[in-house]
Parts: sequence; structure tokens; C-alpha cells
Amino acid sequence: MNVTDQDLQYFISALKNYTKYDFSDYSDKSLKRRVEKVLADRNLDVAGLITSVKNSQDFAETIVKEITVNTTELFRDPQTWHLLRSRILPRFKNNKNINIWHAGCSTGQEVYSMMILLHEMELFDKAKIFATDLNSDVLEAAKKGQYKYRFNIGYLDNFDKVIKQNPLNYEEFNDVPYEKYFEIDKAKDTITMKKFLTEKPIFRKHDLVKDGNLFFAKFDLILCRNVIIYFNYNLQNKVFELFHSNLYPKGCLLLGMHETILGPWATKFEKIGQAYVKK
Amino acid sequence: MYKAVIIGGSAGSFQVITRILHSLPPTFPLPVLLSLHRLKHVRSGFVEALSIKSGIPVLEPADKDQIKPGRAYLAPANYHMFIELGNKIALSTEEPVNHSRPSIDLSFVTAAQVYRDKLVGIILSGANRDGAYGLKKVKDLGGLTIVQDPLECQVKTMTEASMKLTKVDHVYSTNEIIKFLQSIK
Repeated sequence: MNVTDQDLQYFISALKNYTKYDFSDYSDKSLKRRVEKVLADRNLDVAGLITSVKNSQDFAETIVKEITVNTTELFRDPQTWHLLRSRILPRFKNNKNINIWHAGCSTGQEVYSMMILLHEMELFDKAKIFATDLNSDVLEAAKKGQYKYRFNIGYLDNFDKVIKQNPLNYEEFNDVPYEKYFEIDKAKDTITMKKFLTEKPIFRKHDLVKDGNLFFAKFDLILCRNVIIYFNYNLQNKVFELFHSNLYPKGCLLLGMHETILGPWATKFEKIGQAYVKK
Repeated sequence: MYKAVIIGGSAGSFQVITRILHSLPPTFPLPVLLSLHRLKHVRSGFVEALSIKSGIPVLEPADKDQIKPGRAYLAPANYHMFIELGNKIALSTEEPVNHSRPSIDLSFVTAAQVYRDKLVGIILSGANRDGAYGLKKVKDLGGLTIVQDPLECQVKTMTEASMKLTKVDHVYSTNEIIKFLQSIK
């Protein structure tokens, strides 16, 4: 099912008028492809989709969950975690608290990866972890901290690379057992995060398009990885402004491996590796 | 007359890509888009390896980067790479398609939609069927389609799947692909 530019505009208007979601400043191409997939999966045309969105809030909510992207992995992009370990997190080691916001946390793998790293660096107790997403289903999954073993087994490699090995010193090897942080049950096909991890973060529903800072706190570190690739230039700048104004001076913003700040906000940060540090 | 070249490859394509990039003059007039599968655990170092012998700069683009002629853009590991109107790269972490991320099909389809009859699509050696549908789209929208001669491919599944789905314009050896690209002015 081919979605034209006009179809997409009708659909975005319908969402805007009948729900609390505004996708006007999402990147067209990827949104279009997601809508095409929804139509194909449900055997609907655009008119049918719009009618159903108008008639049912629940349906609209489901569609919003389907057109947003929720892929995430444990320790995705080990280089990023090496950067955090060697150059970013040590900056905060003398802080009383370390406030961290995962914006667009999806099912939580990044949040757990961060807590595991913090624990290994003996910064866990100082850290306050806030995590948000647009999609309430993925937040529930994140809170639970339980994942399919077979979908995540491939990422245990990343755990080894980040937690067991030291890229700055190849002779160093810390044999940290997985069981320190999560239980693997092959029969039940689950990886379950330990309770001391699942009970720590504060998870909240949050829409980067319209919501401000939900927490009565500023942040030392904001992670927003592989989220803004789905936004256009306008919305990206809006989000950078939100992050900039809610970071402490010298606080860090970490985007995805291949995301950059283009435009006016670039000059308000300096870069350490791929991390942006508020000037 | 062409505006871009897009190349898809998987198992057995690394040597071929290296030779192709090596043969391109620094004045090559088109951007070269590379959508290549790589081994899960060999995620870094690929762009460096390709750069060593390349006649044109090889980059792993950031999202929304402007596409410029005379450069090769390698789809970053673990991302889909799309081509957008306005000659821009768009990256995505959406689910793998046919177990692949980057998906060659998605790169080819979006490039075909942008460049239409001004696109050259090339499929090289590979062990799966990714790229076959994408190459068909290139053909359907008027672009020129080339596959590496399956007889020469280390693994011929990908090129054969492409030829099954599309009446491709040319079946070329690596040398012939190089000759063709060098003739583009």
C-alpha cells in the first residue's frame, strides 16, 4: 500500500485533531514507511485508518505505538559505552548525585546497561536514573526488566566487551558473572534483571514533541540515542533546547553513534568523542 | 546523465568492493552508496579497511548528511540507510528486514525513488536474497541494473535471486563493472 505525501498529511492531521499526538515534525520518509506497514499489516487503506483513529482512542494509541520505533539492545555500540566508562562518567565521580535521563528508553536495555556500568564503576548509589518514552507498553516492559533470551543472547558479547574487557588495557580482564546483574533461564527463554536494578529507575511516559522536563531535577547526563533520527530539523532543535536547558553546566548529552547536532545548538556544546558537553 | 551509483553486497563482496573503490578516480562525478552486510562482531574498522585503497573518500554518514559527488557512503553497521529527497541520508534503527540491517532492499528502494532513471544499481556476491527486490525497483523506476557475474561470485545466491526477479541490464565481471564506472563522465 503506497502512502502519498497528501495521505500522510491527512493522517498526521487526524492524529493531531483526535489524539494528543503531533507527528508534524517527524521525518516524513520513515513515518511514511511505518504507516505503510501498519496499513499492510491490518489490510486497511488510509481513509479506513483515519476513520478508525477518529472513532477509537484505544485504536489511535495502538497505532501510535506501531508507527514509532522501539528497537534497542544491551550495550548497543560498545564504543559508546567505552567512552562513557573512560571519559564521561569519571567526570562525575566526585558529585554528590549523578542525575541521568534516558529520553526514549524503549524497553529499557540501555537503562539496565547504564546501571550495570555504574555499579561496576562504584557510582551506582550516587546515581538517580530517570527514563521516559512515548509508548506506555515499552515502559511496562522496561519496568519489568525481563527479556527474551533468544533475542538478547547476541548482545551478551557487548556485555563482555564493555564490562569484562578494558579497551585501554587489553591485559585486564574482569570476570564479572552475568548472574551479578541478571538471571538467565534458557528453559523459560528469559533474561531477568535483578531486583536491585529494576527498582531503581523512575519510569515516566513522556512525549519529546510537547512535554518539558517532567522531573524536578537537572541532569548530569542525558542519553537520547537513535531517537532524533526520526525527527525533522525543527523538532531536533526544539529537543536540543530542552536538553540544553535541563543539563547542568558541563553536563553531557549523548546521541546515537551516527546522530549529530546540526544548526544553532551545536555551538552551545563542545564535543568529547561523540558526546556533547554543555559549555 | 546519472546522479548516483548504489552497490549492494554481502558474503564475498569485500574484495570486489575494494577493487571497485580502488579503481575510481578522485574526480568520479557521482556519489557511491554502499549497502553492505557485515559480520555482527566485525562492526568497526570496516570503513577504515575500505578507505585504505579507495580512490574516493569513504564515509560512514551521520543522519541527514548531505550526499556529495565523488564520495562513497557506507551504511553504518546496525542501521538502515535510506536516501531522501534533497539528496540526504537518513538512518534508522527499525527492525532488521530479512534478518539484515542495513537492508540492501530498503537502501535500493529509497534510492530508486529519489534518483529514478538517473540511478545505477549494482548487486554483488552474497549469500542471501536481500537486494533482489531493491534492484527490481531500480529497474521499474527506469534506472540501470547490473549484477556481478554469478560465475565470478564467491557466493552467487544474491545475484541469482536478483536475476530471477528482474531482467537486469548487464551481467558484468568485476573488471567490466570497473570499466563501466570509469566511463561515467
